[in-house]
Amino acid sequence: MLAAVPAVSLAQFGRGYGPPLVTIPPPMQFATSEAHYAYLLEQADGGTTHTIESVPKWYGLWNTAGNTSMDAFVDAPGFSGKVREGVLTPEYEVAYKERWREQQELGQVKYDRLTHCEPAGYPRFLLEPYTHEFINMPHQSYQINDFANSIRRVYIGQEHKNLYGTHSWYGDTVGFWDGDRLVTHTVDLLPADFTRWAPMTSNQFESVEVWELKSYPDGIERLEVQVTFYDSFAFEKPVNAIYAFRHATAQEEAGHRPQHWECELTSNSYLDEDGTTNFRLPGEEGYKDARGSTLFPELPGQTRDPIYNTTLTND
Amino acid sequence: MKRVFNLSVTLVTALLTATVVYAHHSFSQFDRDVEMVTTGTVQRWAFNNPHSWLYINVENEDGSETLWSFEGSAPPSLVTRGVVGSTFEPGDTVKVMFCPLRDGRPGGALGWVQLDDGSFVNPSDGGCNGGDANLERWKGWMEKGYTSSTQASATE
Repeated sequence: MLAAVPAVSLAQFGRGYGPPLVTIPPPMQFATSEAHYAYLLEQADGGTTHTIESVPKWYGLWNTAGNTSMDAFVDAPGFSGKVREGVLTPEYEVAYKERWREQQELGQVKYDRLTHCEPAGYPRFLLEPYTHEFINMPHQSYQINDFANSIRRVYIGQEHKNLYGTHSWYGDTVGFWDGDRLVTHTVDLLPADFTRWAPMTSNQFESVEVWELKSYPDGIERLEVQVTFYDSFAFEKPVNAIYAFRHATAQEEAGHRPQHWECELTSNSYLDEDGTTNFRLPGEEGYKDARGSTLFPELPGQTRDPIYNTTLTND
Repeated sequence: MKRVFNLSVTLVTALLTATVVYAHHSFSQFDRDVEMVTTGTVQRWAFNNPHSWLYINVENEDGSETLWSFEGSAPPSLVTRGVVGSTFEPGDTVKVMFCPLRDGRPGGALGWVQLDDGSFVNPSDGGCNGGDANLERWKGWMEKGYTSSTQASATE
Protein backbone atom coordinates (compact mmCIF):
# COMPACT_ATOMS: atom_id res chain seq x y z
CA MET A 1 0.00 0.00 0.00
CA LEU A 2 0.95 3.60 -0.28
CA ALA A 3 1.77 5.97 2.49
CA ALA A 4 -1.41 6.15 4.55
CA VAL A 5 -3.02 8.73 6.79
CA PRO A 6 -0.60 9.32 9.64
CA ALA A 7 -3.32 9.21 12.24
CA VAL A 8 -3.85 5.51 12.40
CA SER A 9 -0.77 3.50 13.13
CA LEU A 10 2.78 3.17 12.05
CA ALA A 11 1.95 -0.35 11.05
CA GLN A 12 0.02 1.11 8.15
CA PHE A 13 3.13 2.29 6.38
CA GLY A 14 2.64 -0.41 3.81
CA ARG A 15 3.54 -3.42 5.83
CA GLY A 16 0.46 -5.21 4.65
CA TYR A 17 2.07 -6.00 1.31
CA GLY A 18 4.32 -9.02 1.37
CA PRO A 19 6.33 -10.11 4.37
CA PRO A 20 7.12 -7.58 7.11
CA LEU A 21 9.79 -5.07 6.26
CA VAL A 22 12.98 -5.73 8.20
CA THR A 23 15.68 -3.11 8.61
CA ILE A 24 19.15 -4.58 8.19
CA PRO A 25 21.80 -2.31 9.72
CA PRO A 26 25.28 -2.22 8.19
CA PRO A 27 27.81 -4.72 9.57
CA MET A 28 29.40 -2.02 11.68
CA GLN A 29 28.73 1.58 12.59
CA PHE A 30 30.64 4.01 10.43
CA ALA A 31 31.64 7.50 11.43
CA THR A 32 30.70 8.95 8.07
CA SER A 33 28.70 8.03 5.02
CA GLU A 34 31.91 8.22 2.99
CA ALA A 35 33.49 5.51 5.12
CA HIS A 36 30.35 3.39 4.86
CA TYR A 37 30.20 3.67 1.06
CA ALA A 38 33.95 3.00 0.70
CA TYR A 39 33.59 -0.13 2.82
CA LEU A 40 30.76 -1.49 0.65
CA LEU A 41 32.69 -0.66 -2.52
CA GLU A 42 35.70 -2.54 -1.20
CA GLN A 43 33.54 -5.50 -0.19
CA ALA A 44 32.19 -5.60 -3.74
CA ASP A 45 35.71 -5.54 -5.20
CA GLY A 46 35.02 -2.28 -6.92
CA GLY A 47 31.58 -3.25 -8.12
CA THR A 48 30.02 -5.13 -11.02
CA THR A 49 30.34 -3.71 -14.51
CA HIS A 50 27.00 -4.19 -16.21
CA THR A 51 26.13 -3.96 -19.87
CA ILE A 52 22.82 -2.74 -21.23
CA GLU A 53 21.79 -6.38 -21.44
CA SER A 54 22.82 -7.36 -17.92
CA VAL A 55 21.90 -4.29 -15.91
CA PRO A 56 18.86 -5.07 -13.69
CA LYS A 57 15.58 -3.94 -15.21
CA TRP A 58 12.99 -2.44 -12.89
CA TYR A 59 10.45 -1.65 -15.57
CA GLY A 60 7.04 -0.09 -15.15
CA LEU A 61 5.30 2.07 -12.60
CA TRP A 62 5.92 1.55 -8.90
CA ASN A 63 4.13 2.63 -5.76
CA THR A 64 5.65 3.10 -2.36
CA ALA A 65 5.09 -0.01 -0.26
CA GLY A 66 6.01 1.04 3.23
CA ASN A 67 9.06 1.92 5.25
CA THR A 68 10.38 1.72 8.78
CA SER A 69 11.82 5.21 9.03
CA MET A 70 9.44 6.31 11.79
CA ASP A 71 10.49 3.41 13.98
CA ALA A 72 13.78 5.16 14.61
CA PHE A 73 12.14 8.29 15.95
CA VAL A 74 8.91 7.28 17.71
CA ASP A 75 8.36 4.53 20.25
CA ALA A 76 5.60 1.98 19.85
CA PRO A 77 2.69 1.79 19.36
CA GLY A 78 3.03 4.20 16.50
CA PHE A 79 1.13 7.43 16.16
CA SER A 80 0.12 7.39 19.78
CA GLY A 81 3.72 6.77 20.84
CA LYS A 82 6.25 9.29 22.14
CA VAL A 83 9.25 10.77 20.40
CA ARG A 84 12.21 8.56 21.23
CA GLU A 85 14.76 10.63 23.11
CA GLY A 86 18.44 10.65 22.27
CA VAL A 87 18.07 9.81 18.59
CA LEU A 88 17.96 13.42 17.44
CA THR A 89 20.32 16.13 18.62
CA PRO A 90 18.81 18.41 21.30
CA GLU A 91 17.78 21.20 18.92
CA TYR A 92 16.25 18.84 16.41
CA GLU A 93 14.55 16.82 19.13
CA VAL A 94 12.84 19.93 20.53
CA ALA A 95 11.68 20.93 17.05
CA TYR A 96 10.41 17.46 16.30
CA LYS A 97 8.54 17.16 19.58
CA GLU A 98 6.52 20.23 18.63
CA ARG A 99 5.70 18.72 15.25
CA TRP A 100 4.72 15.46 16.95
CA ARG A 101 2.60 17.35 19.51
CA GLU A 102 0.58 18.83 16.66
CA GLN A 103 0.19 15.41 15.12
CA GLN A 104 -1.05 13.87 18.34
CA GLU A 105 -3.17 16.71 19.72
CA LEU A 106 -4.66 18.02 16.50
CA GLY A 107 -4.50 14.84 14.46
CA GLN A 108 -2.58 16.81 11.84
CA VAL A 109 0.64 18.73 11.53
CA LYS A 110 -0.77 22.11 10.58
CA TYR A 111 1.49 22.86 7.67
CA ASP A 112 3.63 21.01 5.17
CA ARG A 113 6.48 22.67 3.29
CA LEU A 114 5.29 20.97 0.10
CA THR A 115 2.16 23.11 0.29
CA HIS A 116 4.02 26.10 -1.08
CA CYS A 117 5.45 23.87 -3.79
CA GLU A 118 8.85 22.92 -2.42
CA PRO A 119 10.03 19.70 -4.03
CA ALA A 120 9.75 16.53 -1.97
CA GLY A 121 13.54 16.38 -1.90
CA TYR A 122 15.50 13.64 -0.24
CA PRO A 123 14.79 11.55 1.85
CA ARG A 124 11.10 12.28 1.28
CA PHE A 125 11.50 11.15 -2.32
CA LEU A 126 11.65 7.60 -0.97
CA LEU A 127 8.12 7.62 0.39
CA GLU A 128 6.08 10.20 -1.46
CA PRO A 129 3.09 8.54 -3.06
CA TYR A 130 2.16 9.09 -6.70
CA THR A 131 4.08 6.72 -8.95
CA HIS A 132 7.81 6.11 -9.30
CA GLU A 133 9.84 4.82 -12.24
CA PHE A 134 13.35 3.37 -12.10
CA ILE A 135 15.44 3.33 -15.25
CA ASN A 136 18.78 1.57 -14.92
CA MET A 137 21.51 2.07 -17.51
CA PRO A 138 25.08 0.81 -17.19
CA HIS A 139 26.45 4.29 -16.60
CA GLN A 140 23.53 5.91 -14.80
CA SER A 141 20.23 5.20 -13.06
CA TYR A 142 17.27 7.55 -13.24
CA GLN A 143 14.74 7.52 -10.42
CA ILE A 144 11.58 9.40 -11.30
CA ASN A 145 8.78 10.44 -8.99
CA ASP A 146 5.49 11.50 -10.53
CA PHE A 147 5.13 13.91 -7.61
CA ALA A 148 5.99 17.20 -9.28
CA ASN A 149 8.00 15.06 -11.68
CA SER A 150 11.18 14.88 -9.67
CA ILE A 151 14.18 13.07 -11.14
CA ARG A 152 17.02 11.70 -9.07
CA ARG A 153 20.15 10.61 -10.94
CA VAL A 154 22.64 8.00 -9.79
CA TYR A 155 26.03 8.23 -11.50
CA ILE A 156 27.53 4.75 -11.66
CA GLY A 157 31.22 4.31 -10.96
CA GLN A 158 31.86 8.02 -10.66
CA GLU A 159 33.05 10.49 -8.03
CA HIS A 160 30.94 13.23 -6.48
CA LYS A 161 30.82 16.59 -8.23
CA ASN A 162 29.31 19.89 -7.23
CA LEU A 163 29.85 22.60 -9.82
CA TYR A 164 26.99 24.71 -8.49
CA GLY A 165 28.62 25.51 -5.21
CA THR A 166 25.49 24.79 -3.22
CA HIS A 167 23.31 21.91 -2.16
CA SER A 168 20.18 20.73 -3.95
CA TRP A 169 16.91 18.88 -3.33
CA TYR A 170 18.27 15.51 -4.48
CA GLY A 171 21.93 16.24 -3.89
CA ASP A 172 24.61 14.37 -5.76
CA THR A 173 24.36 10.59 -5.90
CA VAL A 174 27.04 8.18 -7.05
CA GLY A 175 26.76 4.42 -6.99
CA PHE A 176 27.94 1.03 -8.10
CA TRP A 177 26.39 -2.32 -8.83
CA ASP A 178 27.15 -5.26 -6.55
CA GLY A 179 25.68 -7.98 -8.73
CA ASP A 180 21.98 -7.10 -8.91
CA ARG A 181 22.17 -4.72 -5.96
CA LEU A 182 22.54 -0.99 -6.53
CA VAL A 183 24.62 0.73 -3.84
CA THR A 184 24.39 4.53 -3.69
CA HIS A 185 25.92 7.43 -1.80
CA THR A 186 24.10 10.76 -1.64
CA VAL A 187 25.58 14.05 -0.42
CA ASP A 188 25.08 17.81 -0.82
CA LEU A 189 21.39 17.87 0.08
CA LEU A 190 19.24 20.83 1.06
CA PRO A 191 17.49 20.78 4.44
CA ALA A 192 14.24 18.86 4.14
CA ASP A 193 12.29 16.31 6.14
CA PHE A 194 11.15 12.68 6.10
CA THR A 195 7.49 13.77 6.02
CA ARG A 196 5.51 16.56 7.64
CA TRP A 197 4.95 14.35 10.69
CA ALA A 198 8.58 13.17 10.86
CA PRO A 199 11.85 14.87 11.78
CA MET A 200 13.51 17.62 9.83
CA THR A 201 16.86 16.97 8.17
CA SER A 202 19.79 19.36 7.81
CA ASN A 203 22.10 20.44 5.02
CA GLN A 204 24.59 17.82 6.27
CA PHE A 205 22.15 14.94 5.69
CA GLU A 206 23.72 12.11 3.66
CA SER A 207 22.85 8.51 2.94
CA VAL A 208 24.08 5.14 1.82
CA GLU A 209 21.48 2.94 0.16
CA VAL A 210 21.35 -0.64 -1.09
CA TRP A 211 18.59 -1.24 -3.65
CA GLU A 212 17.51 -4.77 -4.49
CA LEU A 213 14.51 -6.34 -6.21
CA LYS A 214 13.23 -9.17 -4.03
CA SER A 215 10.74 -11.91 -4.85
CA TYR A 216 8.48 -13.60 -2.33
CA PRO A 217 5.89 -16.39 -2.45
CA ASP A 218 2.60 -15.78 -4.25
CA GLY A 219 4.27 -13.73 -6.95
CA ILE A 220 5.09 -10.78 -4.74
CA GLU A 221 7.90 -8.58 -6.01
CA ARG A 222 9.21 -5.75 -3.89
CA LEU A 223 11.96 -3.28 -4.62
CA GLU A 224 13.62 -2.84 -1.24
CA VAL A 225 15.99 -0.09 -0.15
CA GLN A 226 18.12 -0.58 2.94
CA VAL A 227 19.23 2.90 3.96
CA THR A 228 21.59 4.39 6.51
CA PHE A 229 21.07 8.10 7.08
CA TYR A 230 23.84 10.30 8.41
CA ASP A 231 23.29 13.84 9.70
CA SER A 232 25.86 15.53 11.93
CA PHE A 233 23.42 18.32 12.80
CA ALA A 234 20.25 16.30 13.34
CA PHE A 235 21.24 12.80 14.51
CA GLU A 236 23.19 11.64 17.52
CA LYS A 237 24.22 8.61 15.48
CA PRO A 238 23.34 7.16 12.05
CA VAL A 239 19.76 6.02 11.51
CA ASN A 240 18.84 2.84 9.63
CA ALA A 241 15.59 2.13 7.79
CA ILE A 242 14.11 0.14 4.96
CA TYR A 243 11.87 1.56 2.25
CA ALA A 244 9.96 -0.49 -0.30
CA PHE A 245 8.19 -0.16 -3.62
CA ARG A 246 5.72 -2.47 -5.30
CA HIS A 247 4.47 -2.69 -8.86
CA ALA A 248 1.75 -0.11 -9.46
CA THR A 249 -0.44 -2.78 -10.99
CA ALA A 250 -3.72 -0.97 -10.34
CA GLN A 251 -2.52 2.21 -12.05
CA GLU A 252 -1.08 0.30 -14.99
CA GLU A 253 -4.27 -1.71 -15.45
CA ALA A 254 -6.23 1.55 -15.37
CA GLY A 255 -4.02 2.87 -18.17
CA HIS A 256 -2.39 5.57 -16.08
CA ARG A 257 0.42 7.52 -17.72
CA PRO A 258 2.17 10.16 -15.61
CA GLN A 259 1.83 13.65 -17.00
CA HIS A 260 4.19 16.50 -16.32
CA TRP A 261 2.87 18.84 -13.65
CA GLU A 262 4.18 21.40 -11.27
CA CYS A 263 2.61 22.65 -8.11
CA GLU A 264 2.93 26.38 -8.69
CA LEU A 265 0.24 26.60 -11.37
CA THR A 266 -2.21 24.08 -9.98
CA SER A 267 -2.18 24.44 -6.21
CA ASN A 268 -4.20 27.02 -4.30
CA SER A 269 -3.12 25.99 -0.80
CA TYR A 270 -1.02 28.35 1.28
CA LEU A 271 0.19 29.11 4.80
CA ASP A 272 -2.27 31.44 6.47
CA GLU A 273 -1.67 33.91 9.28
CA ASP A 274 -2.58 31.28 11.87
CA GLY A 275 0.18 28.98 10.70
CA THR A 276 -2.33 26.59 9.19
CA THR A 277 -2.85 25.31 5.68
CA ASN A 278 -5.63 27.11 3.86
CA PHE A 279 -7.04 27.44 0.34
CA ARG A 280 -7.84 30.23 -2.02
CA LEU A 281 -11.16 29.63 -3.72
CA PRO A 282 -12.36 30.88 -7.11
CA GLY A 283 -13.01 34.62 -7.07
CA GLU A 284 -10.63 35.24 -4.18
CA GLU A 285 -7.50 37.32 -4.52
CA GLY A 286 -4.54 35.17 -5.47
CA TYR A 287 -6.60 32.26 -6.78
CA LYS A 288 -4.73 30.46 -9.57
CA ASP A 289 -6.95 28.97 -12.24
CA ALA A 290 -5.11 25.84 -13.32
CA ARG A 291 -7.57 25.32 -16.15
CA GLY A 292 -7.96 28.93 -17.10
CA SER A 293 -6.34 30.78 -19.95
CA THR A 294 -2.70 31.68 -20.52
CA LEU A 295 -1.20 35.17 -20.55
CA PHE A 296 -2.69 35.58 -24.02
CA PRO A 297 -6.43 35.08 -23.55
CA GLU A 298 -7.22 37.17 -26.64
CA LEU A 299 -5.69 34.52 -28.86
CA PRO A 300 -7.72 31.48 -29.89
CA GLY A 301 -6.70 28.19 -28.35
CA GLN A 302 -5.21 29.58 -25.15
CA THR A 303 -7.37 27.81 -22.56
CA ARG A 304 -5.79 25.09 -20.43
CA ASP A 305 -9.11 23.26 -20.47
CA PRO A 306 -9.35 22.49 -24.19
CA ILE A 307 -11.82 19.60 -23.95
CA TYR A 308 -14.48 21.16 -21.72
CA ASN A 309 -13.49 24.84 -22.00
CA THR A 310 -14.95 25.67 -18.60
CA THR A 311 -14.75 28.93 -16.70
CA LEU A 312 -15.14 29.52 -12.98
CA THR A 313 -17.33 32.45 -12.17
CA ASN A 314 -18.57 33.29 -8.74
CA ASP A 315 -20.29 36.61 -9.10
CA MET B 1 -23.57 38.76 -5.50
CA LYS B 2 -23.44 35.20 -4.37
CA ARG B 3 -24.24 34.25 -0.83
CA VAL B 4 -21.65 32.42 1.17
CA PHE B 5 -23.00 29.98 3.68
CA ASN B 6 -21.68 30.19 7.18
CA LEU B 7 -21.68 26.62 8.31
CA SER B 8 -22.32 25.91 11.91
CA VAL B 9 -20.28 22.90 12.80
CA THR B 10 -20.39 20.63 15.77
CA LEU B 11 -18.15 17.78 16.70
CA VAL B 12 -19.89 14.48 16.24
CA THR B 13 -17.41 11.70 16.21
CA ALA B 14 -13.84 11.23 15.20
CA LEU B 15 -13.77 9.49 11.86
CA LEU B 16 -10.50 8.18 10.60
CA THR B 17 -10.28 7.70 6.90
CA ALA B 18 -8.76 4.55 5.52
CA THR B 19 -8.21 6.20 2.17
CA VAL B 20 -4.69 6.29 0.84
CA VAL B 21 -3.49 9.86 0.93
CA TYR B 22 -1.79 11.66 -1.93
CA ALA B 23 -1.29 14.89 -0.13
CA HIS B 24 1.17 17.73 -0.31
CA HIS B 25 -0.59 19.52 2.52
CA SER B 26 -2.11 19.06 5.90
CA PHE B 27 -5.87 18.48 6.18
CA SER B 28 -6.22 20.61 9.29
CA GLN B 29 -8.31 23.19 7.43
CA PHE B 30 -11.13 20.68 6.98
CA ASP B 31 -13.45 19.70 9.79
CA ARG B 32 -13.30 15.95 9.43
CA ASP B 33 -15.72 15.52 12.31
CA VAL B 34 -18.56 17.02 10.29
CA GLU B 35 -19.99 15.56 7.08
CA MET B 36 -22.54 17.29 4.91
CA VAL B 37 -24.41 16.48 1.73
CA THR B 38 -25.33 18.92 -0.98
CA THR B 39 -26.54 18.70 -4.56
CA GLY B 40 -25.44 20.88 -7.43
CA THR B 41 -24.47 21.21 -11.05
CA VAL B 42 -20.92 20.55 -12.13
CA GLN B 43 -19.13 23.67 -13.32
CA ARG B 44 -15.73 22.02 -13.62
CA TRP B 45 -13.95 18.83 -12.64
CA ALA B 46 -10.27 19.77 -12.43
CA PHE B 47 -8.61 16.38 -12.56
CA ASN B 48 -5.25 17.92 -11.74
CA ASN B 49 -2.24 17.17 -9.57
CA PRO B 50 -1.36 17.64 -6.79
CA HIS B 51 -5.09 17.48 -5.97
CA SER B 52 -8.28 17.28 -7.96
CA TRP B 53 -11.04 19.84 -7.41
CA LEU B 54 -14.74 19.52 -8.13
CA TYR B 55 -16.57 22.82 -8.57
CA ILE B 56 -20.36 22.76 -8.45
CA ASN B 57 -23.06 25.41 -8.44
CA VAL B 58 -25.50 24.95 -5.58
CA GLU B 59 -28.84 26.72 -5.57
CA ASN B 60 -29.58 28.71 -2.45
CA GLU B 61 -32.97 29.09 -0.82
CA ASP B 62 -33.42 32.52 -2.44
CA GLY B 63 -32.81 31.10 -5.89
CA SER B 64 -29.29 32.45 -6.25
CA GLU B 65 -26.35 30.13 -6.77
CA THR B 66 -23.08 29.66 -4.94
CA LEU B 67 -20.01 28.04 -6.44
CA TRP B 68 -18.76 25.38 -4.05
CA SER B 69 -15.22 23.99 -4.27
CA PHE B 70 -14.31 20.50 -3.11
CA GLU B 71 -10.86 18.98 -2.96
CA GLY B 72 -10.31 15.35 -3.87
CA SER B 73 -7.37 13.03 -4.18
CA ALA B 74 -4.73 13.06 -6.91
CA PRO B 75 -5.24 11.47 -10.33
CA PRO B 76 -2.75 8.60 -9.79
CA SER B 77 -4.87 7.43 -6.88
CA LEU B 78 -8.25 8.18 -8.43
CA VAL B 79 -7.64 6.18 -11.60
CA THR B 80 -7.41 3.05 -9.45
CA ARG B 81 -10.94 3.80 -8.19
CA GLY B 82 -12.35 4.28 -11.67
CA VAL B 83 -12.41 8.07 -11.38
CA VAL B 84 -10.95 9.87 -14.39
CA GLY B 85 -11.05 13.26 -16.05
CA SER B 86 -14.45 12.64 -17.61
CA THR B 87 -16.19 11.23 -14.53
CA PHE B 88 -17.91 14.55 -13.82
CA GLU B 89 -18.77 16.68 -16.83
CA PRO B 90 -20.01 20.27 -16.89
CA GLY B 91 -23.77 20.35 -16.44
CA ASP B 92 -24.00 17.03 -14.61
CA THR B 93 -26.10 16.97 -11.48
CA VAL B 94 -24.19 15.43 -8.58
CA LYS B 95 -24.78 14.85 -4.90
CA VAL B 96 -21.63 15.47 -2.89
CA MET B 97 -20.78 14.38 0.63
CA PHE B 98 -18.02 16.58 2.05
CA CYS B 99 -16.23 17.71 5.18
CA PRO B 100 -16.48 21.50 5.29
CA LEU B 101 -13.76 24.11 5.52
CA ARG B 102 -13.50 25.19 9.14
CA ASP B 103 -13.79 28.88 8.24
CA GLY B 104 -17.25 28.51 6.71
CA ARG B 105 -16.42 29.41 3.13
CA PRO B 106 -18.23 27.35 0.47
CA GLY B 107 -15.86 24.46 0.15
CA GLY B 108 -14.57 21.31 1.72
CA ALA B 109 -12.94 17.96 1.27
CA LEU B 110 -14.69 15.48 -0.98
CA GLY B 111 -16.12 12.32 0.51
CA TRP B 112 -18.22 10.31 -1.91
CA VAL B 113 -20.16 11.63 -4.91
CA GLN B 114 -23.41 10.32 -6.39
CA LEU B 115 -23.62 10.66 -10.15
CA ASP B 116 -26.60 11.42 -12.36
CA ASP B 117 -27.23 7.71 -12.93
CA GLY B 118 -27.45 7.01 -9.20
CA SER B 119 -24.07 5.32 -8.88
CA PHE B 120 -21.47 6.42 -6.36
CA VAL B 121 -17.75 7.13 -6.70
CA ASN B 122 -15.11 7.82 -4.08
CA PRO B 123 -12.76 10.67 -5.05
CA SER B 124 -11.80 11.41 -1.43
CA ASP B 125 -8.38 12.05 0.00
CA GLY B 126 -7.39 12.37 3.65
CA GLY B 127 -9.71 15.31 4.28
CA CYS B 128 -12.93 13.31 4.40
CA ASN B 129 -14.01 9.69 4.47
CA GLY B 130 -15.59 8.57 1.21
CA GLY B 131 -15.16 4.86 1.86
CA ASP B 132 -17.72 2.09 1.48
CA ALA B 133 -18.68 1.84 5.15
CA ASN B 134 -19.24 5.56 5.33
CA LEU B 135 -21.34 5.49 2.17
CA GLU B 136 -23.52 2.69 3.54
CA ARG B 137 -24.17 4.68 6.69
CA TRP B 138 -25.07 7.72 4.64
CA LYS B 139 -27.49 5.75 2.50
CA GLY B 140 -29.46 5.08 5.65
CA TRP B 141 -29.22 8.69 6.73
CA MET B 142 -30.32 9.99 3.35
CA GLU B 143 -33.39 7.75 3.40
CA LYS B 144 -34.34 9.59 6.57
CA GLY B 145 -33.72 12.94 4.94
CA TYR B 146 -30.58 13.92 6.78
CA THR B 147 -28.10 16.22 5.07
CA SER B 148 -25.45 16.45 7.75
CA SER B 149 -23.84 14.12 10.24
CA THR B 150 -24.57 16.70 12.90
CA GLN B 151 -28.26 16.48 12.14
CA ALA B 152 -28.23 12.68 12.05
CA SER B 153 -26.28 12.41 15.27
CA ALA B 154 -28.56 14.79 17.13
CA THR B 155 -31.65 12.90 16.02
CA GLU B 156 -30.57 9.30 16.39
